[in-house]
Amino acid sequence: MTDATATQITVENVDKHYGTFHALKGIDLSIPKGQFVALVGPSGCGKSTLLRTLAGLEGITSGAITIEGENVTGVPPRKRDLAMVFQSYALYPHMNVRDNLTYALRLKGVPKAERAQRAEEVAATIGLENLLDRRPRELSGGQRQRVAMGRAIIRNPKAFLFDEPLSNLDASLRVRMRKEIRALHDRLNATSVYVTHDQIEAMTMADHVVVMRAGIIEQHGAPLDLYERPANRFVAGFIGSPAMNFVDGVIAEDGRHVRLGIRSNSTIAIDRTLEAGREVLVGLRPEHIALGDAQDASAAFTVGAVEPTGAVTYVFSDDEPELIAIADGISTLKRGDTVGFSIDPGLVHLFDPETEIAIP
Amino acid sequence: MQRIAHTIRDGVGFDVLLIAFALFYLFAFAGLPILYNVILSFQQVDMFSLGSLFHEITGWENYVAVFNDPLASRVFWNTIVFTAASVFFQFSIGFALALYFNQRFPGASWIRGLFLAGWVMPGLVVGVLWNWLLSGDFGVINWVLMSMGFIDEPIFWRSDTDYSLIAVILANVWYGVPFNMILLAVGLAAIPDDLYEAASLDGATTWQKFWTITLPMMRSTIGAVIALGIIFTLQQFDLFAAVTSGGPAGSSMVAQYWSWELSFRQFDFGRGAVIAVMMIVVVLGVAAIYVRSTRQETRL
Repeated sequence: MTDATATQITVENVDKHYGTFHALKGIDLSIPKGQFVALVGPSGCGKSTLLRTLAGLEGITSGAITIEGENVTGVPPRKRDLAMVFQSYALYPHMNVRDNLTYALRLKGVPKAERAQRAEEVAATIGLENLLDRRPRELSGGQRQRVAMGRAIIRNPKAFLFDEPLSNLDASLRVRMRKEIRALHDRLNATSVYVTHDQIEAMTMADHVVVMRAGIIEQHGAPLDLYERPANRFVAGFIGSPAMNFVDGVIAEDGRHVRLGIRSNSTIAIDRTLEAGREVLVGLRPEHIALGDAQDASAAFTVGAVEPTGAVTYVFSDDEPELIAIADGISTLKRGDTVGFSIDPGLVHLFDPETEIAIP
Repeated sequence: MQRIAHTIRDGVGFDVLLIAFALFYLFAFAGLPILYNVILSFQQVDMFSLGSLFHEITGWENYVAVFNDPLASRVFWNTIVFTAASVFFQFSIGFALALYFNQRFPGASWIRGLFLAGWVMPGLVVGVLWNWLLSGDFGVINWVLMSMGFIDEPIFWRSDTDYSLIAVILANVWYGVPFNMILLAVGLAAIPDDLYEAASLDGATTWQKFWTITLPMMRSTIGAVIALGIIFTLQQFDLFAAVTSGGPAGSSMVAQYWSWELSFRQFDFGRGAVIAVMMIVVVLGVAAIYVRSTRQETRL
C-alpha cells in the first residue's frame, strides 16, 4: 500500500497543439491517490483532450505525464493500466456483457474459470447479474452505462478516467448514477478523473474541481472553495446555478460601500476597504440576494419576470444588466413591483473590470 | 372501377401497385429468360431450329453430352481454380489495402479514390492492357521477372498451357481488387473509433485489436464481399475473350466461357444452356449466403 497522500498522476507543463490550434497550454496538475478530480469547463476548453492525454489516446507536444512516479509520456495506452468510461460507453457490440467485462482479463491471459468468477463478482457489485448473456444492443442506456463501469472496475486499474459518462442518460438516472459512481469510487478507494461540462456534477461528485477554459486551468480547488472564492470572473460565473449576477460598480467615498450600476440608486456594503472612486465588477450570487421592503433597503430594483418553481421563486429585475434573485418558497412579488435587497458584505464578490481577476 | 378511383384519390393500394410493377419487371426480364434457358437445356436447338419458339425435347441428352465431353473435367477444375484464386487474392489484397488506407495519412482518401480507376475500366480494355503486360516477347512482366533473376527465359503466358489460366487470374485479380477494397473500406469506416480506444486501454495490441474487434465487426461485410466476389468472378467473360479465348487447347477454359462458346461458336444452344443452368444453381447458392450475411449485420 502506498500512503494515502501519495501522488497518483502528475501533469507537468503539458502543451498540446493540433496543427495551429493550441489545445492545452502549459497544464500543471497533480492528482493525489484516492482523490476524485473533476475537469470541468465549456465545450472546447481542453478538458477531454487533457483526459485523453492522460489515457495516452492523444500524444502531447511537450511536457511530461507521470503515473505512480513513472514517466509515461509516449507510453501507449495499453501499458498505462488506466481504465476509461466513454461517453458513448464504447461497449463491444459483438460480445455479450460477460465478454465485454472480461475482455481485458482475456487479453492478459487470465484463465477462463477465474474470468467467469470475476465477471460474476463485478456483475453483483453493479447489479448486472441477470444480464451477463445479453448483447449491448439488448440493454437500456443505464444498463450499458453499468457495463462500461464494470469493464473498468474488473481490471483494478491505477486510476479511472471518465469522459462525460452520464451525458447520454435522462435526468433522474443521471442523479442516481452520480451517487453510485461516487459510492463506487469510495468503496474501491480508487483514483478518478472525471470530465464533465456540468458544474453540478463536478461540484457534487468531486473532491477537487479543475475549471478549464481555452486550454488553460483557470482555477482548481475544493468545490466549495471555488464557489466561495472564485479567482476570476469566469470561474465565478461558471460555478453556481443560476449563474452569478455581474454588475458594474464604483467604490463609494467611504471605501466601504459600492454603488451599483443599475437603474435605481443602490449601494451595498463590502467587507473590505478599497480606494474611493475605483471602478469594480460586482458579483452577486442569486441565492445570496435577500429581498425585502424597498423602504428600509439601500438597494432596490423593479421586478421583471417572476418564475415560481415551488421550492423557490426566481425573481428577475427589469434592469440592464438583469439581476436574478432567489426568493424562498412562493413569492407574492409581481412584475412592476419595486423590491429592496441586501446582501451580506462577506458574500459580495469584487473583480477588476480590466483583468477580471478577483480583488482581494 | 370504384377501387381504381379510390386509389387515385387517396393513394390506397398504391403500395401494391408499386410492388406489382417491380415483380412484373423481374418476372419479364429475369424470370422468363432463366426459365426459357432451363427449357432450352432439355431441347435440341441448332442453327436450323433456332427461329422457332418450340424445339424437339431431348430430355437429359444435353446434360449427358456435356458431362461426357472430354473438356468437361478440365473446365470444371479450371472454373474452381479461377474462382478460388481470384476471390482469395482479390479479397486479401483488397483487405490489406483497405486497412492501409484506413490509417490517417495525408492523401489517403485521394489515393484510395485513384484505385477505382482500374475498376471503372471496361473488361475488354483491362484485357488488352494485360495482353501487353503479359506479352511473351516484349511484355514488362517478363522483363521484370528476368531482370530480377526469377526466370531465365520469357514465359509465353497466353500461349503456354501451363500459364494461360494464371494469366487470366492475374488480370482478374488486378481488376477486382479496387472493388473489394472499397466495400471493405466502407465496413472498416463503420467501426467506431472508440471501440479501438477502449480496446487500447483494455491492453490490446494492434494485432489483438484486429482479431478481436476488426474481424468480428467485419463479419457480415466480409461475407457479402466474398459472395459478391464469387458471383462477379463467375460472370467474368471479357478477360477470357481478350486474353486467351479459353485456349490454348482449353487450358484456360472456364464454365461461363465454355457456355458462350458452345452456344455462339458451335451453335449448340442446348448444351450451352446446360452449363448456364448449372451456373445458375451455384450462383443462387452463393446469393443466399450473401443475403444471409447482409441480414446478420452486427447492429450497434
